[in-house]
Amino acid sequence: MSYYDIDAILTDAEKVPCKFELEVAELGYLDHNPAQPLKAGTSVGLPLWLGELLALASRAPSSSEEDSKSFISLNLPSSLSNEVMSALKADPRAVPLRDQSHNFYGLGTRMLDLFDEREICAILRKTFVTRAADIALHARKAGATEDMGIGGGEEFLRGLEEWERKLFKKAHDGTKGTKEWMEGIKKY
Amino acid sequence: MALPLPSGLVPTEVAFLCEMEMVTIVPRQRLEPIQLLSGETPALRPPHRAEVPLWLALLLKKQRRANIVAPPWLLVSSLQDLVHQETNVDPEAFSPPPPPPMRSDGRGTARPYGTHPDPDSKPGDLILAPPFLPSCTQEAPSGYLPYHWLEMSETLLAHAADDIPNAPDVRALLRDLQEVRAAKMRGSTRHLDGGGGVLNLRGVGAMELAESRGFVLGVVDGVRKIGASMEASRREEEEERAAAGGADDSDEEMEF
Repeated sequence: MSYYDIDAILTDAEKVPCKFELEVAELGYLDHNPAQPLKAGTSVGLPLWLGELLALASRAPSSSEEDSKSFISLNLPSSLSNEVMSALKADPRAVPLRDQSHNFYGLGTRMLDLFDEREICAILRKTFVTRAADIALHARKAGATEDMGIGGGEEFLRGLEEWERKLFKKAHDGTKGTKEWMEGIKKY
Repeated sequence: MALPLPSGLVPTEVAFLCEMEMVTIVPRQRLEPIQLLSGETPALRPPHRAEVPLWLALLLKKQRRANIVAPPWLLVSSLQDLVHQETNVDPEAFSPPPPPPMRSDGRGTARPYGTHPDPDSKPGDLILAPPFLPSCTQEAPSGYLPYHWLEMSETLLAHAADDIPNAPDVRALLRDLQEVRAAKMRGSTRHLDGGGGVLNLRGVGAMELAESRGFVLGVVDGVRKIGASMEASRREEEEERAAAGGADDSDEEMEF
């Protein structure tokens, strides 16, 4: 991941649910309650970059017998929730991943770095591989009918998230190059 | 990424490389040898067949000074066998590449496979590997697709269709082959899920590789990224186990 990778930056900005472990004054507006301080135990959606930092950093223990704790505790975002995972387990192709998150796999890999979830990892891998075959088929068809993904292909493209769109473009470019060569072969 | 060039060869580059393949021609006019950097071309004497690079064969064909002999694998019967092989016999794998014309005899030398050793042959005569095999001449084995099969057959059909027996059928069979093999290429990435992360691409042609390179590499890369965290934790576990068990069975550890 490069420093200027726009997808990595957008993945960093995805909201993840975080539970505050301590009471914070003046932050009540995050919970739509500006007059009150933010209570400990409130769940707030924070961007991934902020949530990650706050969850991994530890604050100084307030008393000697208390262990050092982090500011917040991270939870899995809704796009990686159990419902989505069981839907993906049932049929990876039926789920429009873009509705879950624009950077579904990017977010997934970031969360897998933080959580040790073997099952989610296996499901994500199976989903990616199964959907990739479909993407290749659509990329080939879009080249064959010359509509470049407009029409029937657009509906399909709408369900793809960023990694899959890149894959679609690569597969389509390959097919297009071969097709152009085949059409141009008679000319030279 | 400063240059937005695709990785690997693009289809036009593959087709250009294919023009180096040797094909058999039947000359109609005499032609003295031409001095080239790659050596002399053979002298062309009309009824005798000769082997020249594809680019020269196409040039002579366009000037009506030669006819191209279609390689044996480009005949209808061979292509029908191949389609049968791809669809019915082995619907998972690609059809195998041509067998090597030379085979090691186990004593450090190689000799032509299935024939007796020629006493006059010099060590430099041995050709062991593609792309230097004469895979598109009249001696090429029938029923096996060489590395440059798609570009070679498309080029011959475009410029020398009258030299290929039953060209319309050949064209239709080639379309079938191309489609069935493209479907296999798409399906082959499914096996990446089972772990191992290895694709078997034996027998895939150069043009097919150029077409699918971006897609296949994209899938492999994606699977690697998704599995990266699990892989890291697995490595850590292994290291811990190695550190814990290192005292008693250190002999069995492989050192890298």
